[in-house]
Amino acid sequence: MDSDIQPPTRAGRIQTNWILAAVSATFLVMAGLFVANLWGRTAATPKVPLVDVQFLDPAPWRQTYTDLAKAKEDLSDFDCYGCHEKKKPPVIEYDEKHNIVLPKEHSNLKLGHGSHNRNNVCYNCHNEQNLVTFQARDGRELKFQDSTALCGSCHGPTYRDWEAGVHGRTSGYWDRSRGELQRLNCANCHDPHSPRIPTRAPAPPPRGLHEPATGPTPTAH
Amino acid sequence: MAALPPDSFHPDKTSDRAMTRRTFLRSTAALSGLTALAASLSPLRELGDFTSTEEFLQKYYKELNPDEMAKVLKRIERDVERQYGIRPHVRDLKPMDGVEFVYCLNLTRCIGCRKCVHACVAENNLSRSPEIQYIRVLKLPHGSLDVEKADHNYTTKQVPEKGFFYMPVQCQQCKNPPCVKVCPVNATWQESDGITVIDYDWCIGCRYCEAACPYWARRFNFAKPEVPKERVNPNMSYLGNRPRKQGVMEKCHFCIQRTRAGRYPACLEVCPVGARKFGNILDPESEVSYILREKRVFIQLKEEMGTSPRFFYYFEK
Repeated sequence: MDSDIQPPTRAGRIQTNWILAAVSATFLVMAGLFVANLWGRTAATPKVPLVDVQFLDPAPWRQTYTDLAKAKEDLSDFDCYGCHEKKKPPVIEYDEKHNIVLPKEHSNLKLGHGSHNRNNVCYNCHNEQNLVTFQARDGRELKFQDSTALCGSCHGPTYRDWEAGVHGRTSGYWDRSRGELQRLNCANCHDPHSPRIPTRAPAPPPRGLHEPATGPTPTAH
Repeated sequence: MAALPPDSFHPDKTSDRAMTRRTFLRSTAALSGLTALAASLSPLRELGDFTSTEEFLQKYYKELNPDEMAKVLKRIERDVERQYGIRPHVRDLKPMDGVEFVYCLNLTRCIGCRKCVHACVAENNLSRSPEIQYIRVLKLPHGSLDVEKADHNYTTKQVPEKGFFYMPVQCQQCKNPPCVKVCPVNATWQESDGITVIDYDWCIGCRYCEAACPYWARRFNFAKPEVPKERVNPNMSYLGNRPRKQGVMEKCHFCIQRTRAGRYPACLEVCPVGARKFGNILDPESEVSYILREKRVFIQLKEEMGTSPRFFYYFEK
């Protein structure tokens, strides 16, 4: 057996050294790549854009007369006798379908309170004798600030719920010993002339762990 | 291991210095072994970011005395400041006597706008990427409560749509919670005010609770949660919205950092139509008592499971 082992030739030794150098270099490069963690790391999850802050805003979307007065904003819209004459109730005009024909000064109003035109009379709420007040169904004369009582004179059960904090938005403290329950007025959410809450754009849908940021795919879970 | 220098070659007396097959294999094996070891250790470098020795040796939540708790809260404040650059206010709020929380949700009112989902994300420091959300809003066709027909990925331009209603689902804070029963390490339990909480430092991430929950209310941090610095909510609590780490479960806790301080949850305050109501069921004057007394409370979701949720869905009369 021993006689089979030949002393390596010079060329053979040089070849061995080259191979060893190449193997060492390969391992060093691989070690470098491992330390840099170029593989083995999970693929980066798609970057999800931050949601628009409008979806985080708890502020009501309408301001009532009370809010405007508190913020000392322009109340000229509520100064009826800036245009109308006192003691001269404005005449309501109707078309043949019993829709109110709005004068151009009031064209910003959208009318839709009650279905089938049953509530197409301005003076169901506004007081024709004194335009800067309301008249409730029970005959009370109410100031603009007291609009919730006006709404309550027709919408009794809803008003009762609202008083209990059950209808409408609340904020603040459930524990009344620590702070106040804040309720909003009817007109903070409902347009009195068209109370149905308008449709709106929803916030973006959820995304799974590896779903692309561009659009949702239905998940099975 | 470098190649031998060329001047060491002497053809006549090299038999003892030449590279033998054995030496070659040995050195190659040693090199590859070292490389493999380095590769297997490399994930440890990322571990240093979020597990400190203090945290690793921390005792179980229920065994911590007030002094130890104060130290833990300090440690969390330090960690958060290091990670997010803001000084948080971390508390450990305890349940109040004579208080049991109940949530009521008005399905007649909900318009499916998903504002609650995102207010919750902001309030509770939920991961934005990958996205974790506690609330899912299901869109269901009128006349059915079959959640198999529900769609929570709707992308309509405007809501609500004709012919559909919307049912937000989050943790139902069950009176008989299946998730608590399956936890092998008691990292989740029900508190006396009805909130089922998770100790994120005790959770081992086995996800049994996720599998046990019939409402898919629990979420797992598969990746390191990412919360943008500018949107971190500094009002934190230990069992609530303090930042989580990779590998732990989390879920809705009725905004414990707000509700145990007497306030309403974030999802309730942001709801634009007032569909969400929350309060103490043991107080007959509370909104939730009024609702359960006066309204058509028709459903505890999947009540046939026997979980007895503290989350009630109702319709207007």
